[in-house]
Amino acid sequence: MPAKRLLRLLSLPFRLLRYRLVFGALVAFGLVLAHHADKSTSSDDFCASCHVHPQASASWKLSTHYGVESGVVVHCVECHLPPGGLAYYWEKARHGLRDAYGSLFTDTSQIDWEARSSLEHALTYTYEESCTRCHQNLFPLNLSPKGDEAHLHYSRKAGELPCINCHLHSGHYDERATQPESFGELSTATREIFTEPAPLARFESFVEHIPGTSVSFEMIAIPGGEFLMGSPQHEAYRRADEGPVRRVRVSRFLMGKSEVTWDEYQAFYAQTAAKGQRNTRALAEDTRRKVDAISGATPPYGNPDQGWGKGSRPAITMTHHAATVYCQWLSAVTGKSYRLPTEAEWEYACRGGTPGPYFFPGSPRDFTSETLWNKIFGVDLDAIAPYAVVDSTSGGKTHPPDKVKANPFGLLHMTGNVREFCSDWYSAEAYATHPGGHAITDPRGPESGKEHVIRGGSYASDAIAVRSAARDATRHSAWLMTDPQNPKSIWWYSDCRDVGFRIVCEFHGDLVQPPGGAARPGGSPSPSGSPEGANR
Amino acid sequence: MKEQERALSRRQFVGGAAGTLGAMMLAGGKTARAEPAAAILTAPQDAAFLDRAPDGPPLKAGVVGCGGRGTGAAEDFLDAGPNLQITALGDVFADRLQSCRETLAARGQEIPDSRCFVGFDAYQKVIASGVNVVLLATPPHFRPEHFAACVAARKHVFMEKPVAVDPVGIRSVISSARKGQTIGLCAVTGTQRRHQRDYVAAYQRIKAGTIGELVAGYCYWNQDQLWFRTREEGWSDMEAMLRDWVNWCWLSGDHIVEQHVHNIDVINWFLGKYPARAVACGARHRRPTGDQYDMFSVDFVYDDGRHLSSMCRQISGCENNVSEFVVGTKGASNCRNKIYKLDGTALWEYDYPKDASGQPTGQVAISPYKQEHIDLVTAIRTGKPINEAETTANSTLVAIMGRIAAYTGRQVTWEEAMTSDLRLGPTTYEMGPVNIEAEIPVPGQA
Repeated sequence: MPAKRLLRLLSLPFRLLRYRLVFGALVAFGLVLAHHADKSTSSDDFCASCHVHPQASASWKLSTHYGVESGVVVHCVECHLPPGGLAYYWEKARHGLRDAYGSLFTDTSQIDWEARSSLEHALTYTYEESCTRCHQNLFPLNLSPKGDEAHLHYSRKAGELPCINCHLHSGHYDERATQPESFGELSTATREIFTEPAPLARFESFVEHIPGTSVSFEMIAIPGGEFLMGSPQHEAYRRADEGPVRRVRVSRFLMGKSEVTWDEYQAFYAQTAAKGQRNTRALAEDTRRKVDAISGATPPYGNPDQGWGKGSRPAITMTHHAATVYCQWLSAVTGKSYRLPTEAEWEYACRGGTPGPYFFPGSPRDFTSETLWNKIFGVDLDAIAPYAVVDSTSGGKTHPPDKVKANPFGLLHMTGNVREFCSDWYSAEAYATHPGGHAITDPRGPESGKEHVIRGGSYASDAIAVRSAARDATRHSAWLMTDPQNPKSIWWYSDCRDVGFRIVCEFHGDLVQPPGGAARPGGSPSPSGSPEGANR
Repeated sequence: MKEQERALSRRQFVGGAAGTLGAMMLAGGKTARAEPAAAILTAPQDAAFLDRAPDGPPLKAGVVGCGGRGTGAAEDFLDAGPNLQITALGDVFADRLQSCRETLAARGQEIPDSRCFVGFDAYQKVIASGVNVVLLATPPHFRPEHFAACVAARKHVFMEKPVAVDPVGIRSVISSARKGQTIGLCAVTGTQRRHQRDYVAAYQRIKAGTIGELVAGYCYWNQDQLWFRTREEGWSDMEAMLRDWVNWCWLSGDHIVEQHVHNIDVINWFLGKYPARAVACGARHRRPTGDQYDMFSVDFVYDDGRHLSSMCRQISGCENNVSEFVVGTKGASNCRNKIYKLDGTALWEYDYPKDASGQPTGQVAISPYKQEHIDLVTAIRTGKPINEAETTANSTLVAIMGRIAAYTGRQVTWEEAMTSDLRLGPTTYEMGPVNIEAEIPVPGQA
C-alpha cells in the first residue's frame, strides 16, 4: 500500500469521532490488562510458584516481616523491588527475565541458596528505598540504647551503609544469625584436657597442646632454604607489586599445618576475654607493651562464624591486632615463640619449592572466572578443587582442613580458604627496595605502613588472587564500616568475613626477634582487664 | 479563521506575560539584591517575641534539681504565662528541696509532701506524678538519663545547659532528641542567649549579610572564682561531691563545659556550623576544691579553615570578660547589640528600652531567663514545637572537645569526640564512698 494511504488509514481513529472512541476504549482496556498483569505477577503466590526456593517462603513466615510481633505482613515485592515508578518496572523486568531464564535453562536444584543469601548478593536484590519507605523514623520511642548508637552511626554515614549491613535477616529468619551465649566455650566433655604444652626438643613437626583445654594442632617443620620471591613478568595476571623478583633466603621455622581454627581461637578467647572492657586506643597500645597482662578480645558482634559452624573451620573476622595478641597469649601459655609469619616465610612455605603460579599444576587462565571462555564453559574445577578452596569450589564458605591435599611442605589451605595475616606492613614497592642479585635473608618488610600484608586468597577469591605470588593488604577502615560500637572494635572486623591467620613457631635457639617491635613474651597471662583509670 | 484568531490571541497572551515578567525581573533584580542588607538594619527588632505566653489548658511542671537554678527556673516558668503551676519537686537532698518549696510557697505554689521526692530516683517519681512539663536542673552528669526518661514518658522539657559531660551522654541526648522530635515534644535547653532579644536581632542582621561572610569568631568567659563547698563532718564522698558539684569534672564537665558552653554555642549559632578539631591549653592555678582546671584556652578550627578562639577562666583578681565577637568580610559584631563596618563606623545598634528619664537601660524588655520559658509554653500551647536538644548537645560536645584537648595536650577532632566511649563518673549512685580521686590532669608527657 502506498505510504500516504497507509498513513491515512492508520490515523483514522484520531480523526473520526467514532474511531476515537473505539481506540480510546481499546487503550483503556489494554492499560487495565497491563495493570492486572503487573499485580498478579507481583503477588507472593506468584513469587513462590516456580517452587525453586520454598525455604525462602518458610523463613519469611518466621521473620519480623511476617507479622510475628505486629501482625503486619510485608510482601515479597515490597522489599525485593524498589517502591515504585520507573525503577519498579525496570527492575521487575530485569529480575523477571533472569528468573525465567534460570528456571528454564539451569538446574535449579544446584543453586547454592546459602551463598545467595550473603550480604554481597542480597544487595543486588533488595533496595534501600524500599526499607526507608516504611521505616521513616529511625528513632522510635522504644529504640534500645544499642539501637540509638547504631542508628546514630548510620545517620553519620549517610549513603555509605545499607540497612541490611546490620539487618540482614529481618526478611528471612535465620536462627544461626545471632551470637550464641556460649561463644568461647569449648565442649571438653569427652576429651582429654591437656595440662602441659607439648615439648619441642628437636627441630621437627609436632602436635602442640593448649594447656587447660583439649585443643591441639599440628605444627610442620619447614627447613630453611632459598627461593625466588615474586612472580616472573610472563606469569598470567601478574601484578606490578609482585616484582622485581628477588632471591630470598629463609631460616628454618615451624608453621601451622592449617589456619588457626575456631577451637583454638575460642580457647584464647575463653582464657583472656574481657567482657565489657573499654576499647580505647590507649588500651591497644598497652597490650603491646605489657604482655604479662594480656587482655583478650571483647565479645564479637553478631555471629562471627557466619553460621557456617566452628570446630576445625578457620577462625575468621578477627583483626590483625587480635591475631598478634593471640600469638602472644599462645607463646605465654606454651612457653614457645609463636608469631605471625613474615611475607617471605609465607610465600616460601606456600610454594614448597615450586616456581610456578601455584604449587599444583595449571595456569591461572585455566582456573579464573574472568575469561570469556571460562564464563561460558566453566572453570576447570577438577584440576583445582583437590588443592584449593576458591570461589568456584567453595560454595561461598570456609572449609575444614581435610577438604584439600597438602602442598609439598605438608601445609593445607595455604592457597585459598581464608586470607592469612602476615606480620609485614604492606608496601607496593617492598620488593624494589632490595637490589636484585645476591639473596636477602629473612626480610621483614617495611619499617612502617598503614595496612598489613595478607596472603593466599580465600573461599571468595578468584583463582588469580590465590597464586603463590599474589599480594594483598588489609583495608582497616573499610572493614570496620558497619561496626556500630563506639569506638570501633580493635578485635573484630565487621565487614570482612574471609580473613584469618596461621601461626609460625620459632625454634628456640634461633635468634630471630619477632617483627613489629613486640617484646618477647614471658610469664603467665592474667586474664582480667585493663588498669582502671580516670581516663579523661 | 477561528483557529487562527485563537492562536494569535494565545501568542499575544504568552508574549505579553513574558514581556511583563521580563521587565519585572530586570527591574526587580537590582533592587532585590540591594534590599535585604539595608532593609534588615532598619527592620523592627523583637518582631517574633511574645512578652507573655498565650493562655491555654493548665500546664503542670515538676522540678528535678531544686538548687538555685532549679528554683529560679521554676519561678521563670510560673512567670511565663497564665495557668501554669509547679506541682512536684525532686532532689537528692531534702534541705535543698525544702528551701525551693518554701520559695514557691511564698508565691502561692503549695506542693504537698506526697509530691516531694528525695533521692537519686526522685526524677522518676516527679515524671510519674502527673506533670506535663519537667524542669531539669541537676548537675549535668545526670541530664542524659533524666532527659531520656522524660522523652519515654512524653513530657515536655526545660533542661539546663550543658546537657551532658561526656560523649556517651551526648549521644544519648541526641538519640532522645530525635525520638522526641518525631512525637512533637518541646525541649528548651537553657541557652538563653538564643532567646535574648538583642542577640536575636544581631543574629538576624548578620545572617542577612550586613557584615558579609564571617571569617573568624572569638568567645570569652573570664570571671572571678566561682562558689565551692568544703567538705563537712559526716558527709560521704558522694554527698561532698554533689554539694560541691561545680568543682568536680564527672558532675559538671569542668567549667568550659558547664559555663563557657554558652559562648561557644553563640559562635556555633552565628557561624552555622561546628568546629572540626581543637587544640587547647588549660591549667589549675587556684581552684580550692575538686579536680578541675580553672582556665582553658582553645583554638577551634572549622573544616573550612576558619578559627574560633575560645578563652575561659574562673580566677579572682584578673581581667574579666564575658562576651562573643565575630568578624566578617565587611564588618564585625559583638553578636549582641552592635554591628560595625571594618573601619569602625557603626552600622547598627540595638535599641534598648528606655528608663523613666529616657536613658537606654541596656537591658532587653523581657529577661532571657523568662523569655525561654515564655517560648517553651508558647510552643506547647500553640502546637508549634521547638526542640533545641540536639543543637545544644552539639555545642556541649564542642566544649568537651576543648576540655579533652586541654587535659591531654593532643588535638581532638569532632569525629573522635562524637564516637568516643568516654563516660565519666561512677556506675551506681548512692550516698557513700566514690572511687574517684581528685587527680588533676597533666597534658603531654615528659
